[in-house]
Amino acid sequence: MASIIDIKEECALQVRNFDFTYKGAPAPSLKKVTMPIAKHAVTALIGPSGCGKTTLLRSFNRMHDLYPGNKYEGEIEFEGRNILDPKEDLIHLRTKIGMIFQKPTAFPMSIFDNVAYGMRLQGIKNKTELNDRVEKALKDAALWKEVSDRLKNDANGLSGGQQQRLCIARAIAVEPEVLLFDEPTSALDPISTQGIEKLVIELKERVSIIIVTHNMQQAARVSDYTGFMYLGDLIELGHTEELFVTPKEKLTQEYITGKFG
Amino acid sequence: MIDKIFLNMTRTSALLILFIVAWIFVVLFNQSTEAMQTFGLDFITKDEWAPNLDKFGAYAAIFGSVASTFLAMLLAIPVAIGVAIFLSEIAHDKIKGFFGVSVELLAAIPSVIYGMWGLFFFVPILRDIFGGMGIGLLAAGIVLAIMILPFMAAVTRDAMNTTPDILKESAYALGGTQWDVIKDVIIPYAKAGIIGSLILALGRAIGETMAVTFVMGNVHHTPGSIMDPTTSIPVTLANEFTEADSSLYFSSLFGLALTLLIMSFLVIAIAKFYFLRKVRKGQ
Amino acid sequence: MTAVQKRIIINRLALAFSTLSAVIALAFLFWILGVLVMKGVDALSWNIFIFEGSPPGYEESGLKHALVGQLILVGLATLIGVPLGIMAGTYLSEYGKNSKLAHSIRDISDIMMSAPSIVIGAFVYAVIVMPMGHFSAWAGAIALAIIMIPVILRTTDDMLQLVPGTLREAAFALGAPKYKVIIDVVYRGAKAGILTGVLLGIARVGGETAPLLFTSFNDNFFTTDLNEAMPSLTVTMFNYAISPYDDWQQLGWAAAFILSMFILGLNILGRLILLAGKRK
Repeated sequence: MASIIDIKEECALQVRNFDFTYKGAPAPSLKKVTMPIAKHAVTALIGPSGCGKTTLLRSFNRMHDLYPGNKYEGEIEFEGRNILDPKEDLIHLRTKIGMIFQKPTAFPMSIFDNVAYGMRLQGIKNKTELNDRVEKALKDAALWKEVSDRLKNDANGLSGGQQQRLCIARAIAVEPEVLLFDEPTSALDPISTQGIEKLVIELKERVSIIIVTHNMQQAARVSDYTGFMYLGDLIELGHTEELFVTPKEKLTQEYITGKFG
Repeated sequence: MIDKIFLNMTRTSALLILFIVAWIFVVLFNQSTEAMQTFGLDFITKDEWAPNLDKFGAYAAIFGSVASTFLAMLLAIPVAIGVAIFLSEIAHDKIKGFFGVSVELLAAIPSVIYGMWGLFFFVPILRDIFGGMGIGLLAAGIVLAIMILPFMAAVTRDAMNTTPDILKESAYALGGTQWDVIKDVIIPYAKAGIIGSLILALGRAIGETMAVTFVMGNVHHTPGSIMDPTTSIPVTLANEFTEADSSLYFSSLFGLALTLLIMSFLVIAIAKFYFLRKVRKGQ
Repeated sequence: MTAVQKRIIINRLALAFSTLSAVIALAFLFWILGVLVMKGVDALSWNIFIFEGSPPGYEESGLKHALVGQLILVGLATLIGVPLGIMAGTYLSEYGKNSKLAHSIRDISDIMMSAPSIVIGAFVYAVIVMPMGHFSAWAGAIALAIIMIPVILRTTDDMLQLVPGTLREAAFALGAPKYKVIIDVVYRGAKAGILTGVLLGIARVGGETAPLLFTSFNDNFFTTDLNEAMPSLTVTMFNYAISPYDDWQQLGWAAAFILSMFILGLNILGRLILLAGKRK
């Protein structure tokens, strides 16, 4: 049985008995996962390759729906409703729950247009509003100083670390409730990684963050809560400090001490 | 040493390609000198093709080639892009497989058959709708469009498929619809590849002979309207090569062949070196 | 209407248009295929294989001459083109690799693949038919071979490059000379791919008409003399279909059907071989 602590603060998301089966797979990749995600906090998901942490992350914004044939069972509660319901408005959901990917994914357009993209999708056309919100988003992503004089330039001219911060600016420009980070620094150098980690900690004031990472030290640095997953099960969820220093489950301890990768 | 022999054999075979291509240009050029010297620039600007008078101005054939190809592009490009979008973004796996294979197999059907279908089944319909003989520029443009469609759709789809999934997912993650992703991410990303593919298809269409010979009409005059029979360079060559009876006639035909080769080579080279190379560099 | 609602509608329209395009394209292409099958099967008869061509109106008229002629022309072209193509592709993959020369050869070969085939016919006319003084099967076969070589060069080059470098290194490490490494290891590893390339090359030239129009020309009678004009299925099909005679037109459709089945068969066979090779 998993050791999941009781989160006393408000929850942004609540996962209940969640099963996920990939198309054509003989068995579910996620097995009856039950997990609270605290609001205005950073929750890290760690575990060896194939444990299901990315699969779980991509369920929160229903990214799996892009590839028909997958099966959801159970419930993920967000804003008082089950977002796994087939009737859920995915376009609206994704403006509330944003995602940043493993590699920087700047669109082939200017820096300004990248950040404004999500807002334009929502129909915001007012130039002043766009300009103000783009500036705010870039400032919040700690990128404004570096790009304010070349907003019309192609985003591909930026470095990897800058592009990733651009993607973060793009995601927060639409003012989501939750941000999902899928191994955001795995393609970046150590200095850029530091910048992103600093950003994650700052952003939790305004959004709830879930971050999947292969790097345990990163989880220890940035997160308030950590969930350890193994072969589709959530083994343990606890305050980050406690989980790393005094894990309750044997499996957790073995993973943390490097007994298996 | 056998190694040396093997190396030389293979290298000679490879160099043979370059040699043959160069030789083709040289031979065509040599053969057309008589016509070039006799007519000069008039050869390509005058619409005056009179074998019995030994006067050869190939403007009509050149115009026919350009016009029929242009018409074919106009008709084929929107449909090809639509099919490419369908194949890469809309179709489910089974349909995708079926369509994909159909498209490729149908591209293997010899062009003569497109011509035969055009003449016997499509031209009568045009005759009913527009009157006249039915054969002509419009028929040629349409048959050419249908012929080039499978190839164009296939290479355009391939270009679109180079877009990384992760980039598409980013747009969906912001709440984009499929069309948003196609228009804002896929098409800009694959722009060079898409344009290059379209131009490559154009290069092929310009040299198309058999599909067009059936329905163009072989009338060596620039057409007054889109329904008039006319000719194109390949059609002229196909119909008249074996009937040429003077050295000037032959020379003029070779001149046409050279013109066609240059036009086709240029278009394909532009597609390849300017657009499609960019794609490879970007990867 | 909100902007989001508008986008959703535009999305539906765009997707509908794309689906419509696909349906239109498929409709036209199946129309053509349907016509081919209907008229072709209708015109089939045993006569086709028994009799050679004859003037219109004759009962005993067939396509034997054209079928055999086509096989001769394509067979000859294959004998000439395949070895040259494979050797050229071998050079590019195993020796030239990324050199400037190799890239130039690949580029020119690529362009040749899309170049007009009738121009190649004109070229061969100038260098073979004119000096010889008459049409011949040799001229036709050489024209086809020139068209075939870039296709086979390309597929051989691509397939050989797929063979992992470690395989070659292992053979070298055992002391094998380069040509043996290529023949024993690389060719064997790319066997399926090369074969597919050859089949596709044959399918490609098998359907060509334009380059034969003034090289092997045509003949209504059966012949196996390579020094004379040689009948072909494609040119016969063209001549018969465009003639004003009903029975010739019938034969034209029969020829079209037989040729298409042959070419489609080669294509399918090629793909099956590739698939089987991948499964290993």
